[in-house]
Amino acid sequence: MIFSPRSTTGALALGTGLLLLLPLAGLDHFLLDVLASGFLLAAYVGSWDIVGGVAGQICLGHALFFGTATYSCALLTSLAGWPFAAAAAAALLLSTTAAAVVGTFSGRLKGPFIALLTLALGELAHEVALGQTFFSPRGAYSWGGEGGIPVALPWGSPSPWASYYGALLFLFLSTWGMTRIARSKDGLIWTAISGSELTARASGVDVARHKRRAFLVAGLLAGAAGVGFAAHVGRATAADFSLELSFQAATFAAIGGRGTIVGPVLAALLLHALFQGAGIAPAARVLLYALALLLVLRFFPAGVAGTLRERVRERNMVPEGASR
Amino acid sequence: MNDLLLAERIEKSFGPTRVLRGITLSVGREEVVGLFGPNGAGKTMLANVLSGLIPPDRGRILFEGKDITRLSMDARFRAGLARTFQIPGAYPTLTVVESIRVALLCGEAGQEGKRRLPRELEEEVESVLHRTGLFAQRFWMAAKLSQGCLRRLEFARAISCRPKLILLDEVFSALSAKDEGELTALLRSLRRDDGISFLLISHNPLILAEMCDRVVTIEDGRVTWEGKPADLAKYLPVAAGHDHGP
Repeated sequence: MIFSPRSTTGALALGTGLLLLLPLAGLDHFLLDVLASGFLLAAYVGSWDIVGGVAGQICLGHALFFGTATYSCALLTSLAGWPFAAAAAAALLLSTTAAAVVGTFSGRLKGPFIALLTLALGELAHEVALGQTFFSPRGAYSWGGEGGIPVALPWGSPSPWASYYGALLFLFLSTWGMTRIARSKDGLIWTAISGSELTARASGVDVARHKRRAFLVAGLLAGAAGVGFAAHVGRATAADFSLELSFQAATFAAIGGRGTIVGPVLAALLLHALFQGAGIAPAARVLLYALALLLVLRFFPAGVAGTLRERVRERNMVPEGASR
Repeated sequence: MNDLLLAERIEKSFGPTRVLRGITLSVGREEVVGLFGPNGAGKTMLANVLSGLIPPDRGRILFEGKDITRLSMDARFRAGLARTFQIPGAYPTLTVVESIRVALLCGEAGQEGKRRLPRELEEEVESVLHRTGLFAQRFWMAAKLSQGCLRRLEFARAISCRPKLILLDEVFSALSAKDEGELTALLRSLRRDDGISFLLISHNPLILAEMCDRVVTIEDGRVTWEGKPADLAKYLPVAAGHDHGP
Protein backbone atom coordinates (compact mmCIF):
# COMPACT_ATOMS: atom_id res chain seq x y z
CA MET A 1 0.00 0.00 0.00
CA ILE A 2 1.37 3.45 -0.82
CA PHE A 3 2.01 5.81 2.11
CA SER A 4 2.76 2.90 4.47
CA PRO A 5 6.01 3.41 6.46
CA ARG A 6 7.77 0.56 4.66
CA SER A 7 6.80 1.72 1.17
CA THR A 8 7.80 5.32 1.98
CA THR A 9 11.24 4.20 3.17
CA GLY A 10 11.55 1.95 0.12
CA ALA A 11 10.60 4.78 -2.25
CA LEU A 12 13.05 7.10 -0.48
CA ALA A 13 15.85 4.54 -0.82
CA LEU A 14 14.99 3.95 -4.49
CA GLY A 15 14.89 7.69 -5.25
CA THR A 16 18.18 8.24 -3.45
CA GLY A 17 19.73 5.30 -5.33
CA LEU A 18 18.74 6.85 -8.65
CA LEU A 19 20.07 10.24 -7.60
CA LEU A 20 23.33 8.59 -6.51
CA LEU A 21 23.82 7.35 -10.06
CA LEU A 22 22.58 10.49 -11.81
CA PRO A 23 25.95 12.35 -11.89
CA LEU A 24 27.44 9.39 -13.73
CA ALA A 25 25.14 10.27 -16.66
CA GLY A 26 27.51 13.16 -17.34
CA LEU A 27 25.93 16.11 -15.53
CA ASP A 28 27.98 19.28 -15.80
CA HIS A 29 29.02 21.36 -12.80
CA PHE A 30 26.13 23.78 -13.26
CA LEU A 31 23.52 21.02 -13.04
CA LEU A 32 25.31 19.39 -10.11
CA ASP A 33 25.17 22.77 -8.34
CA VAL A 34 21.47 23.23 -9.19
CA LEU A 35 20.64 19.77 -7.83
CA ALA A 36 22.71 20.22 -4.66
CA SER A 37 20.86 23.50 -3.98
CA GLY A 38 17.62 21.69 -4.82
CA PHE A 39 18.33 18.96 -2.23
CA LEU A 40 18.90 21.57 0.47
CA LEU A 41 15.84 23.57 -0.58
CA ALA A 42 13.75 20.36 -0.54
CA ALA A 43 14.90 19.55 3.01
CA TYR A 44 14.03 23.12 4.04
CA VAL A 45 10.56 22.76 2.48
CA GLY A 46 10.13 19.45 4.33
CA SER A 47 10.89 21.26 7.58
CA TRP A 48 8.15 23.79 6.76
CA ASP A 49 5.77 20.89 6.25
CA ILE A 50 6.40 19.66 9.80
CA VAL A 51 5.00 22.87 11.30
CA GLY A 52 2.85 24.17 8.42
CA GLY A 53 1.49 20.87 7.13
CA VAL A 54 1.52 18.24 9.86
CA ALA A 55 0.86 20.68 12.72
CA GLY A 56 -1.18 23.06 10.54
CA GLN A 57 0.49 26.25 11.82
CA ILE A 58 0.91 28.40 8.72
CA CYS A 59 4.40 29.83 9.10
CA LEU A 60 5.05 32.62 6.59
CA GLY A 61 8.45 33.53 8.00
CA HIS A 62 10.10 30.13 7.90
CA ALA A 63 13.19 31.62 6.24
CA LEU A 64 13.92 33.19 9.65
CA PHE A 65 15.24 29.82 10.89
CA PHE A 66 17.13 29.11 7.66
CA GLY A 67 18.70 32.58 7.56
CA THR A 68 19.57 32.49 11.26
CA ALA A 69 21.66 29.41 10.55
CA THR A 70 23.41 30.76 7.43
CA TYR A 71 24.20 34.10 9.09
CA SER A 72 25.40 32.38 12.26
CA CYS A 73 27.80 30.26 10.18
CA ALA A 74 29.01 33.35 8.31
CA LEU A 75 29.46 35.64 11.32
CA LEU A 76 30.97 33.04 13.61
CA THR A 77 33.48 31.76 11.05
CA SER A 78 34.44 35.01 9.30
CA LEU A 79 34.07 37.51 12.12
CA ALA A 80 34.70 35.47 15.29
CA GLY A 81 37.12 33.03 13.65
CA TRP A 82 35.35 29.92 14.91
CA PRO A 83 35.96 26.61 13.17
CA PHE A 84 33.10 25.72 10.83
CA ALA A 85 31.98 22.67 12.86
CA ALA A 86 31.59 24.77 16.04
CA ALA A 87 29.83 27.53 14.09
CA ALA A 88 27.48 24.94 12.56
CA ALA A 89 26.59 23.59 16.02
CA ALA A 90 25.98 27.12 17.31
CA ALA A 91 23.91 27.89 14.19
CA LEU A 92 21.67 24.91 14.90
CA LEU A 93 21.29 26.04 18.49
CA LEU A 94 20.43 29.61 17.44
CA SER A 95 17.90 28.61 14.77
CA THR A 96 16.24 26.26 17.26
CA THR A 97 16.19 29.07 19.84
CA ALA A 98 14.56 31.37 17.28
CA ALA A 99 11.99 28.65 16.63
CA ALA A 100 11.40 28.23 20.37
CA VAL A 101 10.70 31.97 20.69
CA VAL A 102 8.33 31.96 17.70
CA GLY A 103 6.68 28.75 18.97
CA THR A 104 6.17 30.24 22.42
CA PHE A 105 4.48 33.33 21.01
CA SER A 106 2.44 31.19 18.60
CA GLY A 107 1.23 28.90 21.38
CA ARG A 108 -1.70 31.10 22.26
CA LEU A 109 -2.38 32.37 18.74
CA LYS A 110 -4.49 30.81 16.02
CA GLY A 111 -4.51 30.57 12.22
CA PRO A 112 -4.03 33.93 10.52
CA PHE A 113 -2.42 35.48 13.60
CA ILE A 114 0.37 32.91 13.54
CA ALA A 115 0.83 33.57 9.82
CA LEU A 116 1.04 37.33 10.50
CA LEU A 117 3.42 36.96 13.46
CA THR A 118 5.82 34.72 11.54
CA LEU A 119 5.56 36.93 8.45
CA ALA A 120 6.44 40.01 10.52
CA LEU A 121 9.37 38.35 12.31
CA GLY A 122 10.77 36.90 9.09
CA GLU A 123 10.51 40.20 7.26
CA LEU A 124 12.06 42.06 10.21
CA ALA A 125 15.08 39.75 10.06
CA HIS A 126 15.23 40.22 6.27
CA GLU A 127 15.25 44.02 6.55
CA VAL A 128 17.94 43.93 9.24
CA ALA A 129 20.12 41.62 7.14
CA LEU A 130 19.52 43.75 4.05
CA GLY A 131 20.39 47.04 5.68
CA GLN A 132 23.27 46.17 7.97
CA THR A 133 26.94 46.64 7.09
CA PHE A 134 28.22 47.06 10.65
CA PHE A 135 30.01 43.72 10.68
CA SER A 136 32.30 44.83 7.84
CA PRO A 137 36.01 44.41 8.64
CA ARG A 138 38.06 47.64 8.64
CA GLY A 139 39.82 48.48 5.43
CA ALA A 140 38.12 45.67 3.52
CA TYR A 141 35.14 45.35 1.23
CA SER A 142 31.81 46.08 2.85
CA TRP A 143 29.95 43.08 4.25
CA GLY A 144 26.22 42.71 4.49
CA GLY A 145 23.35 44.00 2.41
CA GLU A 146 22.61 42.20 -0.83
CA GLY A 147 26.20 40.95 -1.07
CA GLY A 148 26.01 39.14 2.25
CA ILE A 149 28.80 37.86 4.45
CA PRO A 150 31.28 35.15 3.45
CA VAL A 151 31.44 31.84 5.30
CA ALA A 152 35.04 30.81 6.08
CA LEU A 153 35.08 27.16 5.02
CA PRO A 154 38.00 24.91 5.94
CA TRP A 155 37.84 23.27 2.51
CA GLY A 156 37.82 26.55 0.58
CA SER A 157 35.53 26.16 -2.40
CA PRO A 158 33.82 22.75 -2.19
CA SER A 159 33.89 20.46 -5.22
CA PRO A 160 30.51 20.17 -7.00
CA TRP A 161 30.60 16.39 -6.52
CA ALA A 162 31.16 16.65 -2.77
CA SER A 163 28.37 19.22 -2.50
CA TYR A 164 26.04 17.05 -4.55
CA TYR A 165 26.56 13.87 -2.54
CA GLY A 166 26.70 15.66 0.82
CA ALA A 167 23.41 17.46 0.13
CA LEU A 168 21.83 14.24 -1.17
CA LEU A 169 22.80 12.38 2.00
CA PHE A 170 21.38 15.20 4.10
CA LEU A 171 18.11 15.19 2.11
CA PHE A 172 17.73 11.43 2.45
CA LEU A 173 18.38 11.41 6.20
CA SER A 174 16.26 14.48 6.96
CA THR A 175 13.31 13.29 4.84
CA TRP A 176 13.43 9.85 6.44
CA GLY A 177 13.58 11.48 9.86
CA MET A 178 10.72 13.84 9.06
CA THR A 179 8.46 11.05 7.81
CA ARG A 180 9.20 9.16 11.04
CA ILE A 181 8.30 12.24 13.08
CA ALA A 182 5.08 12.75 11.10
CA ARG A 183 4.07 9.14 11.88
CA SER A 184 5.09 9.32 15.54
CA LYS A 185 2.89 9.99 18.56
CA ASP A 186 3.83 13.67 18.35
CA GLY A 187 3.01 13.74 14.63
CA LEU A 188 -0.44 12.28 15.34
CA ILE A 189 -1.11 14.87 18.04
CA TRP A 190 0.10 17.69 15.78
CA THR A 191 -2.25 16.48 13.03
CA ALA A 192 -5.08 16.51 15.56
CA ILE A 193 -4.24 20.11 16.52
CA SER A 194 -4.20 20.98 12.83
CA GLY A 195 -7.72 19.51 12.48
CA SER A 196 -9.36 21.10 15.53
CA GLU A 197 -7.58 22.83 18.38
CA LEU A 198 -10.73 22.84 20.47
CA THR A 199 -11.30 19.09 20.14
CA ALA A 200 -7.60 18.51 20.82
CA ARG A 201 -7.83 20.51 24.05
CA ALA A 202 -10.95 18.57 25.01
CA SER A 203 -8.94 15.37 24.37
CA GLY A 204 -6.25 16.33 26.86
CA VAL A 205 -3.76 17.83 24.41
CA ASP A 206 -1.60 20.64 25.79
CA VAL A 207 -1.90 22.61 22.55
CA ALA A 208 0.57 25.40 23.35
CA ARG A 209 3.30 22.91 24.34
CA HIS A 210 2.80 20.82 21.22
CA LYS A 211 2.79 23.86 18.92
CA ARG A 212 6.06 24.98 20.49
CA ARG A 213 7.52 21.51 20.00
CA ALA A 214 6.47 21.45 16.32
CA PHE A 215 8.17 24.83 15.80
CA LEU A 216 11.28 23.56 17.59
CA VAL A 217 11.62 20.51 15.36
CA ALA A 218 10.89 22.52 12.20
CA GLY A 219 13.34 25.26 13.24
CA LEU A 220 16.09 22.74 13.95
CA LEU A 221 15.62 21.07 10.55
CA ALA A 222 15.39 24.40 8.69
CA GLY A 223 18.56 25.44 10.52
CA ALA A 224 20.27 22.23 9.44
CA ALA A 225 19.31 22.99 5.83
CA GLY A 226 20.70 26.51 6.36
CA VAL A 227 24.02 25.14 7.64
CA GLY A 228 24.20 22.89 4.57
CA PHE A 229 23.44 25.85 2.32
CA ALA A 230 26.11 27.97 3.99
CA ALA A 231 28.63 25.15 3.46
CA HIS A 232 27.54 24.73 -0.16
CA VAL A 233 27.35 28.39 -1.23
CA GLY A 234 30.01 29.79 1.11
CA ARG A 235 28.06 32.97 1.78
CA ALA A 236 25.07 34.17 3.79
CA THR A 237 22.96 36.80 2.04
CA ALA A 238 19.81 38.71 2.92
CA ALA A 239 17.95 36.44 0.48
CA ASP A 240 18.31 33.66 3.09
CA PHE A 241 15.73 35.55 5.20
CA SER A 242 13.60 36.63 2.26
CA LEU A 243 9.85 36.53 1.99
CA GLU A 244 10.30 34.72 -1.32
CA LEU A 245 12.09 31.84 0.40
CA SER A 246 9.35 31.64 3.05
CA PHE A 247 6.58 31.71 0.45
CA GLN A 248 8.37 29.13 -1.69
CA ALA A 249 8.16 26.66 1.19
CA ALA A 250 4.41 27.20 1.57
CA THR A 251 3.89 27.04 -2.21
CA PHE A 252 5.85 23.81 -2.70
CA ALA A 253 4.05 22.26 0.27
CA ALA A 254 0.66 23.16 -1.19
CA ILE A 255 1.69 21.68 -4.55
CA GLY A 256 3.09 18.48 -3.05
CA GLY A 257 0.40 18.01 -0.41
CA ARG A 258 0.58 19.61 3.02
CA GLY A 259 1.31 17.21 5.84
CA THR A 260 2.71 14.43 3.64
CA ILE A 261 6.42 15.46 3.93
CA VAL A 262 7.42 13.46 0.85
CA GLY A 263 5.05 15.45 -1.41
CA PRO A 264 6.46 18.90 -0.56
CA VAL A 265 10.04 17.56 -0.68
CA LEU A 266 9.53 16.11 -4.16
CA ALA A 267 7.65 19.19 -5.40
CA ALA A 268 10.47 21.47 -4.26
CA LEU A 269 13.17 19.28 -5.77
CA LEU A 270 11.45 18.75 -9.12
CA LEU A 271 10.28 22.31 -9.69
CA HIS A 272 13.56 23.84 -8.54
CA ALA A 273 15.61 21.49 -10.71
CA LEU A 274 13.31 22.01 -13.69
CA PHE A 275 13.06 25.79 -13.65
CA GLN A 276 16.53 26.65 -12.34
CA GLY A 277 18.17 23.94 -14.45
CA ALA A 278 16.50 25.46 -17.51
CA GLY A 279 18.13 28.78 -16.60
CA ILE A 280 14.84 30.65 -16.10
CA ALA A 281 15.23 34.05 -14.46
CA PRO A 282 14.19 34.31 -10.75
CA ALA A 283 11.25 36.67 -11.43
CA ALA A 284 9.88 34.33 -14.11
CA ARG A 285 10.38 31.34 -11.80
CA VAL A 286 8.06 32.92 -9.20
CA LEU A 287 5.36 33.25 -11.87
CA LEU A 288 5.88 29.64 -12.95
CA TYR A 289 5.62 28.42 -9.35
CA ALA A 290 2.32 30.30 -8.99
CA LEU A 291 1.09 28.79 -12.27
CA ALA A 292 2.10 25.30 -11.14
CA LEU A 293 0.25 25.87 -7.86
CA LEU A 294 -2.96 26.91 -9.64
CA LEU A 295 -2.79 23.98 -12.05
CA VAL A 296 -2.12 21.41 -9.34
CA LEU A 297 -4.84 22.70 -7.03
CA ARG A 298 -7.32 22.53 -9.93
CA PHE A 299 -6.86 18.76 -10.20
CA PHE A 300 -5.43 17.90 -6.76
CA PRO A 301 -7.19 20.12 -4.19
CA ALA A 302 -5.07 18.80 -1.31
CA GLY A 303 -1.83 18.83 -3.34
CA VAL A 304 -0.60 15.83 -5.33
CA ALA A 305 0.42 13.51 -2.48
CA GLY A 306 -2.29 14.86 -0.19
CA THR A 307 -5.07 14.08 -2.67
CA LEU A 308 -3.62 10.63 -3.41
CA ARG A 309 -3.45 9.90 0.31
CA GLU A 310 -7.09 10.93 0.73
CA ARG A 311 -8.09 8.59 -2.08
CA VAL A 312 -6.18 5.70 -0.52
CA ARG A 313 -7.82 6.39 2.82
CA GLU A 314 -11.28 6.51 1.24
CA ARG A 315 -10.58 3.16 -0.41
CA ASN A 316 -9.61 1.73 2.97
CA MET A 317 -12.88 2.80 4.59
CA VAL A 318 -14.83 -0.33 5.46
CA PRO A 319 -18.53 -0.18 4.69
CA GLU A 320 -20.76 -0.40 7.75
CA GLY A 321 -21.40 -4.01 8.67
CA ALA A 322 -18.60 -5.39 6.46
CA SER A 323 -15.69 -7.27 7.97
CA ARG A 324 -12.07 -6.80 6.95
CA MET B 1 -17.35 15.56 50.95
CA ASN B 2 -19.59 13.50 48.68
CA ASP B 3 -19.75 15.92 45.77
CA LEU B 4 -17.65 14.91 42.81
CA LEU B 5 -18.02 18.36 41.28
CA LEU B 6 -18.96 21.48 43.16
CA ALA B 7 -19.24 24.83 41.42
CA GLU B 8 -19.80 27.70 43.84
CA ARG B 9 -21.16 31.15 43.00
CA ILE B 10 -19.94 31.07 39.41
CA GLU B 11 -20.16 34.44 37.68
CA LYS B 12 -19.29 35.34 34.11
CA SER B 13 -19.89 38.58 32.22
CA PHE B 14 -19.05 39.83 28.76
CA GLY B 15 -18.97 43.61 29.02
CA PRO B 16 -22.29 44.70 30.51
CA THR B 17 -23.93 41.32 29.75
CA ARG B 18 -24.02 39.09 32.82
CA VAL B 19 -24.26 35.53 31.50
CA LEU B 20 -23.81 33.60 34.76
CA ARG B 21 -24.99 35.26 37.98
CA GLY B 22 -23.63 33.31 40.91
CA ILE B 23 -24.58 29.76 39.96
CA THR B 24 -23.95 27.03 42.51
CA LEU B 25 -24.23 23.47 41.27
CA SER B 26 -23.05 20.06 42.40
CA VAL B 27 -22.79 16.60 40.87
CA GLY B 28 -22.39 13.57 43.12
CA ARG B 29 -20.50 10.37 42.42
CA GLU B 30 -22.32 8.10 39.95
CA GLU B 31 -25.06 10.70 39.71
CA VAL B 32 -26.70 11.96 36.52
CA VAL B 33 -27.72 15.59 36.86
CA GLY B 34 -29.80 17.27 34.18
CA LEU B 35 -29.36 20.94 33.31
CA PHE B 36 -32.47 22.44 31.79
CA GLY B 37 -33.35 25.94 30.66
CA PRO B 38 -34.45 28.11 27.76
CA ASN B 39 -32.16 29.27 24.96
CA GLY B 40 -29.67 31.84 26.23
CA ALA B 41 -30.11 30.78 29.87
CA GLY B 42 -26.36 30.14 30.20
CA LYS B 43 -26.30 26.32 30.05
CA THR B 44 -23.51 26.01 27.49
CA MET B 45 -21.58 28.87 29.11
CA LEU B 46 -21.75 27.00 32.41
CA ALA B 47 -20.43 23.87 30.65
CA ASN B 48 -17.64 25.97 29.13
CA VAL B 49 -16.68 27.30 32.55
CA LEU B 50 -16.89 23.89 34.23
CA SER B 51 -14.79 22.24 31.51
CA GLY B 52 -12.12 24.95 31.60
CA LEU B 53 -12.77 26.39 28.16
CA ILE B 54 -13.63 29.80 29.64
CA PRO B 55 -12.44 31.04 33.06
CA PRO B 56 -15.10 32.38 35.43
CA ASP B 57 -14.93 35.97 36.67
CA ARG B 58 -15.80 34.86 40.19
CA GLY B 59 -16.53 31.68 42.08
CA ARG B 60 -14.64 28.44 42.39
CA ILE B 61 -14.88 24.91 41.05
CA LEU B 62 -13.94 21.89 43.12
CA PHE B 63 -13.44 18.47 41.53
CA GLU B 64 -12.91 15.58 43.94
CA GLY B 65 -12.30 18.21 46.59
CA LYS B 66 -9.50 19.92 44.65
CA ASP B 67 -9.76 23.47 43.37
CA ILE B 68 -9.62 23.31 39.56
CA THR B 69 -10.88 26.83 38.88
CA ARG B 70 -7.67 27.87 37.10
CA LEU B 71 -6.89 24.47 35.56
CA SER B 72 -6.82 24.35 31.75
CA MET B 73 -9.29 22.29 29.76
CA ASP B 74 -6.71 19.66 28.78
CA ALA B 75 -5.56 19.31 32.40
CA ARG B 76 -9.18 18.81 33.53
CA PHE B 77 -9.56 16.05 30.90
CA ARG B 78 -6.47 14.34 32.26
CA ALA B 79 -7.88 14.73 35.77
CA GLY B 80 -11.03 12.86 34.71
CA LEU B 81 -13.42 15.67 33.77
CA ALA B 82 -14.39 15.24 30.10
CA ARG B 83 -16.95 16.98 27.94
CA THR B 84 -18.72 16.76 24.61
CA PHE B 85 -19.80 19.70 22.47
CA GLN B 86 -23.17 20.79 21.13
CA ILE B 87 -21.68 20.68 17.63
CA PRO B 88 -19.48 17.57 17.57
CA GLY B 89 -15.85 18.46 17.00
CA ALA B 90 -13.67 16.10 15.01
CA TYR B 91 -10.30 15.99 13.29
CA PRO B 92 -11.34 15.88 9.62
CA THR B 93 -8.18 14.21 8.30
CA LEU B 94 -7.83 11.61 11.05
CA THR B 95 -9.60 8.28 11.08
CA VAL B 96 -11.80 7.17 13.96
CA VAL B 97 -9.00 4.95 15.28
CA GLU B 98 -6.48 7.79 15.15
CA SER B 99 -8.88 10.23 16.83
CA ILE B 100 -9.39 7.83 19.74
CA ARG B 101 -5.65 7.15 19.91
CA VAL B 102 -4.99 10.89 20.42
CA ALA B 103 -7.37 11.03 23.39
CA LEU B 104 -5.94 7.83 24.88
CA LEU B 105 -2.34 9.03 24.48
CA CYS B 106 -3.06 12.42 26.03
CA GLY B 107 -5.42 11.11 28.67
CA GLU B 108 -2.97 8.49 29.85
CA ALA B 109 -1.13 11.04 31.98
CA GLY B 110 -4.12 10.84 34.29
CA GLN B 111 -3.87 7.07 34.70
CA GLU B 112 -1.75 7.29 37.84
CA GLY B 113 1.35 8.03 35.80
CA LYS B 114 1.14 4.65 34.11
CA ARG B 115 2.25 4.63 30.48
CA ARG B 116 0.69 2.04 28.23
CA LEU B 117 2.69 -0.26 26.03
CA PRO B 118 1.81 0.09 22.33
CA ARG B 119 -0.03 -3.27 22.44
CA GLU B 120 -2.01 -2.18 25.51
CA LEU B 121 -2.88 1.08 23.78
CA GLU B 122 -4.22 -0.73 20.72
CA GLU B 123 -6.25 -3.09 22.92
CA GLU B 124 -7.75 -0.09 24.65
CA VAL B 125 -8.52 1.59 21.30
CA GLU B 126 -10.33 -1.58 20.23
CA SER B 127 -12.24 -1.73 23.51
CA VAL B 128 -13.41 1.89 23.12
CA LEU B 129 -14.41 1.17 19.49
CA HIS B 130 -16.53 -1.79 20.55
CA ARG B 131 -18.13 0.03 23.46
CA THR B 132 -19.13 3.01 21.37
CA GLY B 133 -20.23 0.93 18.38
CA LEU B 134 -17.66 2.47 16.05
CA PHE B 135 -15.71 -0.67 15.16
CA ALA B 136 -17.15 -0.90 11.63
CA GLN B 137 -16.20 2.73 10.98
CA ARG B 138 -12.75 2.54 12.56
CA PHE B 139 -10.90 3.37 9.34
CA TRP B 140 -13.30 6.11 8.29
CA MET B 141 -12.06 9.66 8.23
CA ALA B 142 -14.02 11.79 10.70
CA ALA B 143 -15.05 14.13 7.88
CA LYS B 144 -17.06 11.28 6.34
CA LEU B 145 -18.98 10.28 9.49
CA SER B 146 -22.72 10.71 9.98
CA GLN B 147 -24.06 12.90 12.80
CA GLY B 148 -24.80 9.81 14.89
CA CYS B 149 -21.28 8.45 14.43
CA LEU B 150 -19.80 11.86 15.25
CA ARG B 151 -21.72 11.81 18.54
CA ARG B 152 -20.36 8.33 19.24
CA LEU B 153 -16.87 9.58 18.45
CA GLU B 154 -17.42 12.38 20.98
CA PHE B 155 -18.31 9.75 23.57
CA ALA B 156 -15.32 7.64 22.54
CA ARG B 157 -13.02 10.62 22.99
CA ALA B 158 -14.61 11.54 26.31
CA ILE B 159 -14.33 8.06 27.86
CA SER B 160 -10.71 7.68 26.76
CA CYS B 161 -9.39 9.36 29.90
CA ARG B 162 -11.44 6.98 32.08
CA PRO B 163 -13.41 9.98 33.30
CA LYS B 164 -15.23 10.34 36.53
CA LEU B 165 -17.56 12.96 35.12
CA ILE B 166 -18.65 13.82 31.58
CA LEU B 167 -20.40 17.07 30.68
CA LEU B 168 -22.80 16.31 27.83
CA ASP B 169 -23.91 19.43 25.98
CA GLU B 170 -27.09 18.78 23.95
CA VAL B 171 -25.78 15.37 23.06
CA PHE B 172 -29.13 14.15 21.75
CA SER B 173 -29.83 17.05 19.40
CA ALA B 174 -30.11 16.46 15.62
CA LEU B 175 -30.11 12.68 16.02
CA SER B 176 -32.40 10.06 14.50
CA ALA B 177 -34.61 8.08 16.89
CA LYS B 178 -32.36 5.03 16.35
CA ASP B 179 -29.17 6.97 17.15
CA GLU B 180 -30.84 8.56 20.17
CA GLY B 181 -31.87 5.14 21.50
CA GLU B 182 -28.38 3.72 21.01
CA LEU B 183 -26.70 6.70 22.66
CA THR B 184 -29.09 6.47 25.61
CA ALA B 185 -28.14 2.80 26.02
CA LEU B 186 -24.44 3.71 25.81
CA LEU B 187 -24.85 6.40 28.45
CA ARG B 188 -26.62 3.94 30.74
CA SER B 189 -23.92 1.31 30.30
CA LEU B 190 -21.16 3.84 31.04
CA ARG B 191 -22.91 4.81 34.23
CA ARG B 192 -23.65 1.22 35.27
CA ASP B 193 -20.32 -0.40 34.32
CA ASP B 194 -17.86 2.45 34.89
CA GLY B 195 -19.65 4.49 37.53
CA ILE B 196 -19.30 7.65 35.49
CA SER B 197 -21.28 10.71 36.57
CA PHE B 198 -22.92 12.96 33.98
CA LEU B 199 -24.05 16.53 33.77
CA LEU B 200 -26.59 16.28 30.98
CA ILE B 201 -27.53 19.55 29.30
CA SER B 202 -30.68 19.18 27.27
CA HIS B 203 -33.72 21.01 25.93
CA ASN B 204 -35.67 17.79 26.05
CA PRO B 205 -37.54 17.30 29.38
CA LEU B 206 -38.48 13.74 28.41
CA ILE B 207 -34.85 12.68 28.09
CA LEU B 208 -33.96 14.42 31.35
CA ALA B 209 -36.86 12.72 33.12
CA GLU B 210 -35.73 9.36 31.74
CA MET B 211 -32.01 9.65 32.39
CA CYS B 212 -31.43 11.88 35.40
CA ASP B 213 -31.41 11.48 39.16
CA ARG B 214 -31.81 15.22 39.65
CA VAL B 215 -32.60 18.19 37.45
CA VAL B 216 -31.41 21.78 37.84
CA THR B 217 -33.07 24.51 35.81
CA ILE B 218 -31.41 27.80 35.04
CA GLU B 219 -32.75 30.99 33.54
CA ASP B 220 -31.00 34.26 32.90
CA GLY B 221 -27.80 32.92 34.45
CA ARG B 222 -29.39 31.88 37.75
CA VAL B 223 -30.53 28.57 39.20
CA THR B 224 -34.32 28.78 39.35
CA TRP B 225 -35.32 25.29 40.37
CA GLU B 226 -33.81 22.03 41.51
CA GLY B 227 -35.57 18.76 42.15
CA LYS B 228 -36.50 15.31 41.01
CA PRO B 229 -37.03 14.75 37.27
CA ALA B 230 -40.60 13.65 37.92
CA ASP B 231 -41.31 17.12 39.30
CA LEU B 232 -39.90 18.89 36.26
CA ALA B 233 -43.42 19.09 34.82
CA LYS B 234 -44.33 21.35 37.74
CA TYR B 235 -41.55 23.72 36.72
CA LEU B 236 -42.29 23.69 33.01
CA PRO B 237 -45.56 25.67 33.11
CA VAL B 238 -43.70 28.44 34.93
CA ALA B 239 -41.36 28.73 31.96
CA ALA B 240 -44.11 28.21 29.39
CA GLY B 241 -43.56 31.69 28.06
CA HIS B 242 -39.98 30.77 27.07
CA ASP B 243 -38.77 28.76 24.14
CA HIS B 244 -37.70 25.34 25.37
CA GLY B 245 -37.57 23.85 21.92
CA PRO B 246 -34.27 23.17 20.19
